Amino acid sequence: MDDHELIRQILNGNMNCFTFLVNRYRKLVVHITGRLIQRRDEIEDVSQDVFLKVYQNLNKYRNESKLSTWIATIAYNTAINHMRKYKKGDDTIPDDHSVIRTLKDFKTIDYEQVDLHRYIRDQIELLPLQYRTVITLFHLEEFSYQEIEQITGMPEGTVKSYLFRAKAILKEKLKFVVDDNSLKKVKEISNEK
Amino acid sequence: MKNKELDQLIEQSFGYEPDFQLPDNFAQQVTAELKRRSQWKNNLIEYLFLIGFSSFLLTIVAGTYYLVNKEILIQILNFASQNIPSVIFVLVLLNFILFADRVLLPILFNSQNFNN
Repeated sequence: MDDHELIRQILNGNMNCFTFLVNRYRKLVVHITGRLIQRRDEIEDVSQDVFLKVYQNLNKYRNESKLSTWIATIAYNTAINHMRKYKKGDDTIPDDHSVIRTLKDFKTIDYEQVDLHRYIRDQIELLPLQYRTVITLFHLEEFSYQEIEQITGMPEGTVKSYLFRAKAILKEKLKFVVDDNSLKKVKEISNEK
Repeated sequence: MKNKELDQLIEQSFGYEPDFQLPDNFAQQVTAELKRRSQWKNNLIEYLFLIGFSSFLLTIVAGTYYLVNKEILIQILNFASQNIPSVIFVLVLLNFILFADRVLLPILFNSQNFNN
């Protein structure tokens, strides 16, 4: 069933179709709310709020954008509002030097024992809010720059800049901690997977 | 270490799903919550409609008595003005019983059903 038909059915009162919609977009929503909020005990409640808002506003949805973009916008705004409400926000413009300084504290980890992909994912969670947001939307959910601009309100140039800087920070960190042997090992693990 | 290899490693990691998970029955929970809220809204509207309709009927009856027999109406108003606390108490009690019957109890009963 395509999104257009799904919306029509939901607006006609078919709740099974709404359950279907939730199942279709739950990953998108939990990736956004999870990456932004980062508190497992709150992610479920905020994700539920997102879908309740989706249902309440479904009659206002116009086919000007993809349904996934529209739902992602609601998820982003709900997560940001939740963080502001409970003052857990990280709204400041990220300072790359301080981020790199924080990352350097992890130098003591024994990388021979660690799956580096797992390690990088952990490092992504330590990045500033804006970086985590654009990484999730661009790389994980594969939205275009224009769609990310629509979802977050960040200009396209800023999105590109954040992506570039996030990668640069992680690269700096990896250069600092990973030697050639570790990298070879990661490649082996990746190939095995 | 080669820049290209690092780039590849980072790009791959960006595409991996984070560990955040929702329960398997998440969609059912959301739908149940939606039904609960919808029912609450409907029950509240029904309750307000009943209050409005009762007030309307009372006004019609009072108006009729005013036209037909003013004395009874004046006696009732005198009684009410002499027993204001009791009258207010009875009105609040009736109102609460109606609210509990139409709004609170159905919500409590259905939330137990949803949980089961």
